[in-house]
Amino acid sequence: MELILASGECDYVNEVICAPANVNELFEFRQPIWTILGFPITRTVFLILAIAVIVSALLFFGLRKKSVIPSKFQALVESLVSFVKDGIAIDIIGPEGVKYVPWLMSVFLFVLVGNMYEVTPGVNFPVTSRMALPVMLAAISWIVFVIAGIKRQGFRYFLGIVWPSSVPVALRPLVGLIEFFSILFIRPLTLAVRLFANMVAGHLMLTLLLVSGWVFISNVGEIGLKAGIGIAWFIMALGIFVFEIVVIALQAYIFTLLSAVYVQTSLYPEH
Amino acid sequence: MYQAWNLILATAEPTPISAETGGESGGIDLLLPAPEELIAGIIAFAIIFLVVWKFALPAFKKTLEGRQDAIKGELAAAEQAKQEAASLLDDYRAQVAGAKDEAAQIVAAAREAGDAVKADIVTRAEAEAQAIKARANEEVAADRARVADELKRQVADLSINVAERVVGSSIDADQQRVLVDRYIDELGGVQ
Repeated sequence: MELILASGECDYVNEVICAPANVNELFEFRQPIWTILGFPITRTVFLILAIAVIVSALLFFGLRKKSVIPSKFQALVESLVSFVKDGIAIDIIGPEGVKYVPWLMSVFLFVLVGNMYEVTPGVNFPVTSRMALPVMLAAISWIVFVIAGIKRQGFRYFLGIVWPSSVPVALRPLVGLIEFFSILFIRPLTLAVRLFANMVAGHLMLTLLLVSGWVFISNVGEIGLKAGIGIAWFIMALGIFVFEIVVIALQAYIFTLLSAVYVQTSLYPEH
Repeated sequence: MYQAWNLILATAEPTPISAETGGESGGIDLLLPAPEELIAGIIAFAIIFLVVWKFALPAFKKTLEGRQDAIKGELAAAEQAKQEAASLLDDYRAQVAGAKDEAAQIVAAAREAGDAVKADIVTRAEAEAQAIKARANEEVAADRARVADELKRQVADLSINVAERVVGSSIDADQQRVLVDRYIDELGGVQ
């Protein structure tokens, strides 16, 4: 297997860090590995589809036995399900949140595994740093919370947004305008951008530090003591690596939590 | 020149730099969703949603219900065991109380029997003592009578001897004895 991150050259003699000429090289893998019925299976597409396989396998092997006394793996999967069901859906939305558990659960596991690729040896690329996934997930969240609002309140859902009864009449047009853009445009946008930006930043930091560390250390014969910089980059990368594991879990949680909060505000606008 | 980025990770070939970015860093490309990734994402999400909805959550629910039933069963069994234990304890307590009563009755009966035996022994002892006493009295009386007779005979003999010495042998010995006995009897009657 050829280990190629992206094309580029590093002037390790004159520079102290290796930066790619084009940052897209760290994220874009558009060259198809296979083509199935005209559909290009790129590395990213493969990894995205693999999320479905990984999550399905995790759930299948974790929940198939239904043991009264669970194994460690079963307990782990059950705690994940329970975390989303009780800790997010029911805690945030209320008893009605049970209806939204399949969607919230899917979002959480999808984002979690997609993020986990960032620190998975041999992969080291979070597919959630590709805008397609945050946009898709945010669009689904938008559809769910708007439909929830319409189903609960009918047309008054939109009226409640543009003409909020809880603020003084004089302020309603202004607040209504802000709310309209905030709820219907900014919400999905921030959902998508927050996840995307966090994963892009994490991936950039890790790849730059690891690649620089590797390049400087492996060229010790040519650059001498300057190779010590590579060690520093590696140590820093280790710290960032641990930090990124926290960010990965946190971003999956935040995306799911905010999606639940948006549904809750659609169902209970008075809150 | 050295290929610096030939390092970790991807199996893919290096990305051809797009005409739009022209090799410049960053760019709008990163912010635009790639259609094939969007489609793959929708497919993957749909699969996950189906698995979660149709398998994971029902399985999870079933597991929890099974666990709930097991706990309920265990609690019911524990409650039943507790009741049985309480019932057994009551039985044991009743048995102990019965045993105590029985023991008290046995002790009382034994005491009564003991008292009866004691009374019997005392009665018999008293009767025996009375009998011994009576026998002793009889023996004493008999001895007394025998001694009196002996004394009377000796006194008579002595008196005859004395009388013979005084009056000679004019009187027949048997007559003298009869006389002496009468005299002694009279003396006894005077006393």
